[in-house]
Amino acid sequence: MGSTAPTLNRLRQSLAGIDPSLKPALPGCGREVGLDPAIDAALGGGLSCGALHEVAPSGPGYLGAASGFALALASIASGQRREVLWIGTDYAGTEGGRPYGPGLDLFGVASAKLVVLRVPKPVDALWAMEEALRCRALSCVIAELTGEGTVADLTATRRLSLAAREGASARTSGFGLLIRHNATAVPSAAATRWSIAPALSRPDAYGGLGRVRFDLSLRKNRRGPVGRWIIEWDHHEHVFLPALPVGVAQAVVDRSGRAPLVQTG
Amino acid sequence: MWLRRLSTDRVERHSSKPVETFVVVASVQSAQRIVALTDGAARLGLKAGMGLADARAMYPKLPVVEADPEADRQLLEGIADWCDCYTPLIGLDPPDGLLLDVTGCAHLFGGETALARDLVRRLAQQGLRARAAVADTVGCAWGLARYGKQGIVPAGESKAAMLSLPIAGLRVDAGIVADLKTSGLTCVADLMSRPRAPFAARFGRELLFRLDQALGHIDEPISPRQPLPAAMAEQRFADPIAREADVLGTIEKLASQLVTVLDRRGEGGRLFQVALFRADGAVHRLELGTGSPLRDPPRIRKLFEERLAVLGDACDPGFGYDTVRLSALATERTDPMQTGLGGDDHAEELAHLIDRLGARFGLRRVTRIVPQDTHIPEYAVAAVPAHAVRTATTPLPFIEQDTLAPAQPLRLFERPQPIDVTAEVPDGPPVQFQWRRTKYRVIHAEGPERVAMEWWRDDRGSELTRDYFRVESFQGARMWLYREGLYGREVARPHWYLHGLFA
Repeated sequence: MGSTAPTLNRLRQSLAGIDPSLKPALPGCGREVGLDPAIDAALGGGLSCGALHEVAPSGPGYLGAASGFALALASIASGQRREVLWIGTDYAGTEGGRPYGPGLDLFGVASAKLVVLRVPKPVDALWAMEEALRCRALSCVIAELTGEGTVADLTATRRLSLAAREGASARTSGFGLLIRHNATAVPSAAATRWSIAPALSRPDAYGGLGRVRFDLSLRKNRRGPVGRWIIEWDHHEHVFLPALPVGVAQAVVDRSGRAPLVQTG
Repeated sequence: MWLRRLSTDRVERHSSKPVETFVVVASVQSAQRIVALTDGAARLGLKAGMGLADARAMYPKLPVVEADPEADRQLLEGIADWCDCYTPLIGLDPPDGLLLDVTGCAHLFGGETALARDLVRRLAQQGLRARAAVADTVGCAWGLARYGKQGIVPAGESKAAMLSLPIAGLRVDAGIVADLKTSGLTCVADLMSRPRAPFAARFGRELLFRLDQALGHIDEPISPRQPLPAAMAEQRFADPIAREADVLGTIEKLASQLVTVLDRRGEGGRLFQVALFRADGAVHRLELGTGSPLRDPPRIRKLFEERLAVLGDACDPGFGYDTVRLSALATERTDPMQTGLGGDDHAEELAHLIDRLGARFGLRRVTRIVPQDTHIPEYAVAAVPAHAVRTATTPLPFIEQDTLAPAQPLRLFERPQPIDVTAEVPDGPPVQFQWRRTKYRVIHAEGPERVAMEWWRDDRGSELTRDYFRVESFQGARMWLYREGLYGREVARPHWYLHGLFA
């Protein structure tokens, strides 16, 4: 068994000679976007810059959570100072809403540093993303596709991954996030694939809404194991915090003795 | 330049079998009259202005075509476009003339004579009969092209050339021409040999005004069809080029010439135009705006590459282009910058990316978010074209945070989505709602946050007050809902809408 690891390494090296995108990520090479110690360990140090990552909501109605997770990653990657590009098709904007400046500012993505591109067709979004990933002025490129985003197939995502790798240099990232409005089984060359659901929050001391919680399922990871975590987003400090799941039973309010439900509107 | 048979040439160009003799008719004062005719018809003794009935009486089988002034006009515009390869300063002289200012251009074609000959010859190849004259003044050239000897009037000799022209060559009303004829005055020389005052008294100022214009006593500018570029460069080819790579290579070469000129003035281009002159006379024009003054030929090439990629078939090279021209229509001062030396110039790289995306998708699609002075959510920010936002935008006004969750949504629907809502009390927060056929039960709700509409902007007074709620469903999904209208005061049964999604 002792000789397996070197053999594997040698094989990986020779594969990397054939296809540079299979180059094994060595510790210390390239930048990482860190989420949370537990998740970073599974990811081998964090989400690698110079790569493409996919995010999709795990169910209908969770698009807000998926967008929020992607934007939180963009916030960490950009550090509030560097520019972020958001690419969406016209249809994605009508279907899921457009990025909203005041909300972005509160969430931790400076809206003054955001460039929004609306494209007519999904293929245009892929083209624009590929161009933008090569641009070293952007810290993060987010593209969203409606439905399963089947136009982003293995070939297309491979192109995007290569563009991201090209765009990454010692000081810049080439960090690409692809949001699909529906989870998909389409094969993809992305480095990771995330399925996002919101998680019940812990209300604050006054009964108001608590910090945003994400229920993350890592469905695919080229550098390590998959897994599932629940984390909170602290939009003041722009960091993820680990969170314990809140049982639904805890949060149910006793409604006996209240007025009967009234239909309005 | 006079296109003497414009209407009939147009018809002939489009007909499959050649007909030598026909006339074009139109209703003039409720009578069918001949407005244009072919050389063949003219030889039969027909004239423009003759009634169709008279013509039919002479030649019962005379073929007739309806006049189409709009098509004539389009053809004239098309020819004017094509003439752009001689000079950028072209004026239309409807219905059948074009005015070209060839000052400073003629030497490129081997002199004025050669230019005029080339123009007439190339038009003839396209089936258009033209007469061209070059003179100091518009009036003189106009008269000579129509009534005089074609050719060149050397500078300062327009007066001599005008003498033999008939009075009609002065661009005056047919009525005046006829009146002068009855007095025995037929040519310009007759007019000039007599005192001016009686003419002014008898025929008004038009006659003398036209005469002065033709003689150059009064300046007559040509109003150009296309904006005059600040700088331009062009390249002609003996053999037309058709490959996209060749066209782009030419554009880059022209760009470097153009940039040399602009650099000397300390300017960069904001608006570029490429005109591609196709061998068969069609002209394609591509325009391109940029976010910042541009002085880098490879970038100019790259932008046009995007534009060409989008146009695809709309810009069919056909038999190829024989002239490519690049002009800078708008320029702006730039201060010379040091480029290179290893620094990462991120701002410039981003500006270039925005230009490229703009060239491909249209500048309006690349936007930045600019805050507006209103608290109505859908108007609180505007999407402003990114190239127009020159400096970093002012930060949005700070919105106070009262909870651990952001108070504004990440995504906002342009059109609020109607939803079915159940609430405990009519003006309370929702307990359950249905959106896109999915039911959501609300576990936490915060609100209402009241947004009153701006009555000073709402002239009909129909806008209803909104009460916004932030709700979290049993699954944890957070949404921004509002109830439109105050219960009982503004409406009997308020409607509910979903306006945004939180993370």
